[in-house]
Amino acid sequence: MECCGPGYASPAEAIKAPREKILYTIAIYTGTGIQQPDYLCTIDSDPDSATYSEVIHRLEMPGIGDELHHMGWNACSSCFDDNSMSRSYLLVPGVRSSNIHIIDTASNPRAPRLHKIIEGVEIKAKTGLSAPHTIHCLRSEIIISMLGDSRGEAPGGYLHLDKEFNILGRWENSMGDIPFGYDFWYQPRHNVMASSEWAAPNTFMPGFDLEEVGHLKYGRRIHLWDFEKRVPKQTFYLGEDGLIPLEVRFHHNPDSTHGFCGAALSANIIHWWKDDSDEWQWEKIIDVDNELHPEWPIPVPGIISVILLSMDDKYLYFCNWLHGDIRQYDISDPHNPKLTGQVWMGGVLNKNPKVNGVQVNGGPQMIQLSLDGKRLYVTTSLFSTWDNQFYPEIRVNGGCMLMVNCDVENGGMQIDPNFIIDFGKEPNGPSRCHETRYPGGDCTSDIWL
Amino acid sequence: MMTITLTNRDNARYKVMCRRSLLDELLDHGVDLPYGCRYGGCITCAAKLIEGTIDQSAQVALNNRQIDNGYIILCVVGAKTDCSIDIGMESHDLLYRNPFLEPLAPQDLRADVGAPKEA
Ligand code: FES
Repeated sequence: MECCGPGYASPAEAIKAPREKILYTIAIYTGTGIQQPDYLCTIDSDPDSATYSEVIHRLEMPGIGDELHHMGWNACSSCFDDNSMSRSYLLVPGVRSSNIHIIDTASNPRAPRLHKIIEGVEIKAKTGLSAPHTIHCLRSEIIISMLGDSRGEAPGGYLHLDKEFNILGRWENSMGDIPFGYDFWYQPRHNVMASSEWAAPNTFMPGFDLEEVGHLKYGRRIHLWDFEKRVPKQTFYLGEDGLIPLEVRFHHNPDSTHGFCGAALSANIIHWWKDDSDEWQWEKIIDVDNELHPEWPIPVPGIISVILLSMDDKYLYFCNWLHGDIRQYDISDPHNPKLTGQVWMGGVLNKNPKVNGVQVNGGPQMIQLSLDGKRLYVTTSLFSTWDNQFYPEIRVNGGCMLMVNCDVENGGMQIDPNFIIDFGKEPNGPSRCHETRYPGGDCTSDIWL
Repeated sequence: MMTITLTNRDNARYKVMCRRSLLDELLDHGVDLPYGCRYGGCITCAAKLIEGTIDQSAQVALNNRQIDNGYIILCVVGAKTDCSIDIGMESHDLLYRNPFLEPLAPQDLRADVGAPKEA
């Protein structure tokens, strides 16, 4: 297709894109005891550069205590045919402050600058929502899942922005009886959106009390929406198999109905699809066993904090943040995943505490995969208060970023020996790194119409 | 007016009004304090009460174990007497616990789901 909008004509075109030369990763001081703003790092990922594997720029947010977490682009391949659009702004919300920072990455990609802030108070006043999480662009508009109302109670809803980043209001027409929000992904050719459930901000922000799961204060459902009508249509009640379902991903292939979700506490991968009679079905396809820990009275669940699909939809990756492993499964047959790779770093089981000379505090957490599927970037912090509970050392030592080389032909993974960023050595003191994005789009940013 | 002593800040003393939150009062006095939501839901502003009586009925962030350990939520707490408190992350030694290592008893949970505390 001849065109000049952002992104790529198809996932197959995206795979052929040039290698990512820089990465954007957020780093936080919120919850560390260091009274400094959270910031957006530019990281040099060009192996031919003198500053390879270093933070080359830091853009501080104006306030303290935002807790930067996830981020998203103003535009993606969903507006590939619109040459008035370009991928120029990164939206970087603070989960705690609800401020949404609009960062201009186009003027100087290596040194992004702040373009505008949508203040949390304005969002609360206009929409009654707080705690921004996932961002997806939808042609020229932007939808953001908001996990709470203005008092931090669930279920929150969806914030709708126009392309100039003005608040249009709430995106959804109804939340139905959805109790909690978290992540979402849409597959427009099937008029469907899938959303998952964490908990109310007032529940998860102060930290994790396991007993509250039994009191139904954490999610256990996946919701399918009528995307055009903007209303929830069907719910999968996952029960004990789906405690705390977090990241949701549809296949990148826009014709596919297959989608996946990682249930963090149950440590299962849930798969759904539309069957031959046009009914949506779900099944559990991967079950990570709890592991015994010498000092813990309760077996340790994996805590699957993230999942990701390679751009060719062949591999599923996920992290067991507590166990400390990243796994690669061949999901060519989505009903029968095959484990093809596994690496260890950090984690509470102590299987690989030191990598490339750096003590890994935390476990493998957020991951981002190169468009060609060969390089997986990993960071170690989950959420400030949860980090403080499970990995108290991260407060003094900070997080780190590693790279894993992935064999896209035969499967398999290996930690790259030459890439390491130790956020314990940051100029303002040890910080913690979280989500990563690439200027040209990545494996969790783009959706095709 | 009440007097607040910051035990881990060289016993610095500040006069505060009882109607406003200690967070607002101390920030106005120039004390550097972490905060997030400012409605008692996110725990960022937690501090430890060493001595004194307070009202923090509006907080929803703390579980009963944390309250028993002396934690207060500065953004919604009002002082009912003179108080001594520890502030900042240094006061958070007992705030965070590994939920798999140290499970909570029913009466340790947050008020909305916890069993009533024994008198
Ligand atoms: S600032 Fe959130 S609980 Fe006080």
